Amino acid sequence: MRPSRREFVKWLSAGGISVSLSHLASAKDAAFATHETLPGRGKFNPAMRGAGRVDGVAKVTGAKLYASDFRANDMPGWPQTTSHAILVRANDATHVYTGMDLGRLTGAMKPSVVVTAADLDRIGTRVPEFYTGDLFCPAGKTPTYLGQPVALLIFETFDAYDRARLALRDGTFVMFGEETGPVEVPHYGAYRFTRVAGATPDAPDVYSPLQAGWVSPKKLQSAPLPVWSPLAKETPADYSKAATHGEQIRAELAADNASLLVLDREFETQSVDPMFLEPECGIAWYGKAGNLELVLGVQSPYEATESITYLLDKARAPFKPAQINAQFAYVGGGFGGRDHTPFVLYVALAAVFFQGRPVRLAHDRYQQFQGGIKRHPIKMRSRIGIDRATGLIKAFAADHVLDGGGLANFSVNVATVAATAAIGIYDVPKVDVTTVALHSRGVTAGSMRGYGTLQSMTALEVLIDEAAAELKLDPIEFRRRNALKQNGRTMTGNPYIVSVRTPEILDKLEKHAIWQQRAQFKQATSGVLVGTGLACVTKDYGTGADCSLGRVELEPDGRIAIFCDHVEMGNGIGTALANRVAQHLGGIADEVAVSRVDSYDVLGLVTSGDPYTMDQKTQDAAEKSPRWVPSISSATSASIGAHVGTHSSAEAARVIFRYGLWPAALELWRIAKTDPRARQWAGATWKDGQLVMPGLEPLALPVLAATAHARGFVTGAVAHSFSRWGWSRARFPMFGEQYRAEIDALAIRKGRGKFERIDRVSVKFPPTDNNRIGVAYTSMCGTVVRIEINRATGALRIAKAYSVFECGQALVPEVVMGQSYGGFAMGVGYALLETLPPFEGGPGNGQWNLGQYLIARGSDLPLRDLELELLPPLTPDEPPKGIAEVVMIPIVPALLNAIHDATGHRFRSLPVTTSLLKGALA
Amino acid sequence: MTTLSLTINGRKHGPLEVRDDLTMNDFLREVLGMTGTKFGCGAAQCLSCAIIVDNPDGTSTTTPTCIVPAVAFQGNSIRTVEGHAKDGELSALQKAFIDHFAFQCGYCTAGFLNEGQVLLERLARAPVARNELEQTIADALDSHLCRCTGYVRYHEAVRDVILADSKRYLIANN
Repeated sequence: MRPSRREFVKWLSAGGISVSLSHLASAKDAAFATHETLPGRGKFNPAMRGAGRVDGVAKVTGAKLYASDFRANDMPGWPQTTSHAILVRANDATHVYTGMDLGRLTGAMKPSVVVTAADLDRIGTRVPEFYTGDLFCPAGKTPTYLGQPVALLIFETFDAYDRARLALRDGTFVMFGEETGPVEVPHYGAYRFTRVAGATPDAPDVYSPLQAGWVSPKKLQSAPLPVWSPLAKETPADYSKAATHGEQIRAELAADNASLLVLDREFETQSVDPMFLEPECGIAWYGKAGNLELVLGVQSPYEATESITYLLDKARAPFKPAQINAQFAYVGGGFGGRDHTPFVLYVALAAVFFQGRPVRLAHDRYQQFQGGIKRHPIKMRSRIGIDRATGLIKAFAADHVLDGGGLANFSVNVATVAATAAIGIYDVPKVDVTTVALHSRGVTAGSMRGYGTLQSMTALEVLIDEAAAELKLDPIEFRRRNALKQNGRTMTGNPYIVSVRTPEILDKLEKHAIWQQRAQFKQATSGVLVGTGLACVTKDYGTGADCSLGRVELEPDGRIAIFCDHVEMGNGIGTALANRVAQHLGGIADEVAVSRVDSYDVLGLVTSGDPYTMDQKTQDAAEKSPRWVPSISSATSASIGAHVGTHSSAEAARVIFRYGLWPAALELWRIAKTDPRARQWAGATWKDGQLVMPGLEPLALPVLAATAHARGFVTGAVAHSFSRWGWSRARFPMFGEQYRAEIDALAIRKGRGKFERIDRVSVKFPPTDNNRIGVAYTSMCGTVVRIEINRATGALRIAKAYSVFECGQALVPEVVMGQSYGGFAMGVGYALLETLPPFEGGPGNGQWNLGQYLIARGSDLPLRDLELELLPPLTPDEPPKGIAEVVMIPIVPALLNAIHDATGHRFRSLPVTTSLLKGALA
Repeated sequence: MTTLSLTINGRKHGPLEVRDDLTMNDFLREVLGMTGTKFGCGAAQCLSCAIIVDNPDGTSTTTPTCIVPAVAFQGNSIRTVEGHAKDGELSALQKAFIDHFAFQCGYCTAGFLNEGQVLLERLARAPVARNELEQTIADALDSHLCRCTGYVRYHEAVRDVILADSKRYLIANN
């Protein structure tokens, strides 16, 4: 296989992983750009008028935007006819899979091609490590999980496919033999987070993950659960040390100590589906020249292409593509469920097994429930110890067990994020949390909005409410007393590196009418129970290894184009990019192109190793190459869109301003380079599209852009940056000086010239020790809610709710508010409606759909009685913070606390359905 | 097979031979390439697939397309999301959806747009009192599912279009 036209193929060297981006010729299909609307191609931009989103018109006119919208005849140069594939999945994971009975597919319904595990073996595919397991369950084996694929059926015509899918709808053609019970697989990973603070807040910790690293118990092949004891045989020394501290904390919680209130509670959460409205879909064509062309809709385009490449790059001819060209469409909802999804592998397989014909693979909703990534159910046992005299939390211990389902996917990551969020907004000097992600025969769980914290902070906030009641403390005062302060240390031993605004949020909750009037409304009216509850949480944004790529181009007439690798999945990243770049260039972009992982070839980036586990020595050695970065492109999540997704485009715009528009302004103002004012660019501001400096004539952007082009100043820039709880920083030789910025790779364009890479002369990547941090970037949100419960039926109505949150500088406040409304609705569904049985009878049986699975409708929500408040940034230049996840969390425990207030019953499992409420009231 | 003829967004389609069990959703998306009408659940539960049917009596209704055969629309006049803008000019509701940031991923937008448009036209024929408006909107849109927005902005957009032309949509002096 030779490098792709899009040039982001991962190459494997004999000595280990090394990744290179080879040089990219720009897209040669300009004609396509003029009439199609794949991301990056749309020209119309209503945001130019100061209203709406950059994708607004396309979305209200039904333009082709999503992967599911594209057929072969929409794609230039492709054959005109689309073939279709069905991904057949196992609906049993306790019996041996024996094959398919396709006898019901007669005549024209017969598939043209059937692809099974044996076919993959025959052509020599490889399974990317992230998706380890059989891509298809081979005949003769018990499926590893419900919903595991067993075959692809490919049909030449739509009619054949359409009739076949109806005939196969009941799933009974997938045959099973001997009962074996579920396949046993070792757990996916286990960690223990233990911290013992020093004697005073300023004293060093006695022990913390930041000091000692993250630790895991020894993995036992013979037992499903780890042995957490520090004394177990062959226990690693680092684990033993943590566990010894941890057991001491637990002993203190178990001791007979009248001065300490100890609560020991269990909490259980359910499996839910992201239920993004566009089921997963893709279309691919493997042409005669060996080019594999794909149109996909995922949150992780770079990873998807890497994985497809890995899948096929050892395949035998003619199944090994010469080139892979992937185009990424808008996403009809993601919520994490399209991040690292194996679905794309099957799209690619469908094409290489039906060569010469474009093949579309699309889940219907039943299949999406059966095979789509789910949220982890977590069983949690939590113990909290509070000094009765002061009301201060002294110790916290918890044990989390996650059901990861059939494939590992992100289960270990979710487990660690859930664990490190287990003490929420609080300052707790002694913490010990164990977590393990288990394999099960359930549908695979992975990334989903909240990423484990929804579960662990819900359990915590319910526990906190109960503790406050036991102590006869006001729940807000109890939270205020224990809230982590700005410089306090989190569970892993590091402070947050962003603003901490918990006190402000608690004050807002306390003063709100819903809270103030809680006693008044609690006066029960006939047949109705009224309750008020609140919760306050904090959620990290960023993964600890996030990449940002941005390219900005300025035309002579002042038009601005932005290219970004992040994906638009409704989060408004395109609009946020336009607004953030405008802060530097004084104008809203005319074109914003997202999902463009192909726009950065000029940087020539290379990478190696794993950014999460790399040691400092390795990083120090690798960074000597001026093109090396810890990671090149990362998946999109809504909560990092503002902070990460826009960062490099903003930095690229800053370079254009500094070395393009500013020197142009100096020329127009006739200010000599030696004039002290020539270095006062920081004092210039944009107002109404004009660059303003006190005492000088305002200059319009088009005039400046024309001058920059005419004089050969910088008119375009491409930048990359990497964040590991802090941005990389580098120096670049620029026009006789060293330019310093929070980026690690840069290319510039002068006038109409070509982009040229500027090799950095020094770089400081965030230290690898930052990998020991659990959370550093975080946003806070609090919610208070009043509910009414019909005593006879158990029906719950949300009467009023108020959420208050902060996100630094909101790039597009309307999008922030919209995400918050949506997050609230998703939280309500999670708390009251949504649930999937884990195994048999659950979604893996292929028979689940909406109707049986309930998500919040408008009538489930207080549409006119939901008040949201976005706190203004602390300073005008406070960086944007991620918001999309935290806003869905506090409503869940707030509802549970309100239910307790109304009924006296404290629910400790989700969801709390009407029937459960009715039962509790009986 | 049935020979199907119908009018879509004012344009006649057919006669076309279609299978009797071909859904209207697949007819639009696979046969005609009109993918503005979405496929969400295939069970008429989310209504991202809803289109407008214009009845002979001058009224209009929405209908799901994912479970209804195309042949059921024989001779009908229907409207889809692609047909709302006229001569490149967005409808009032389309503009309101954009101005209000009513949608996020946008996959449900076609269904909400069609439902909202039918509501506007119904109110134009039979206005409601101002104090009934909120519930009227809520009732009209409640069958449509959205996973991104929490519905608030959709409701606000529809309400604003109505209030901007209250003489047309609301009973006077109420």
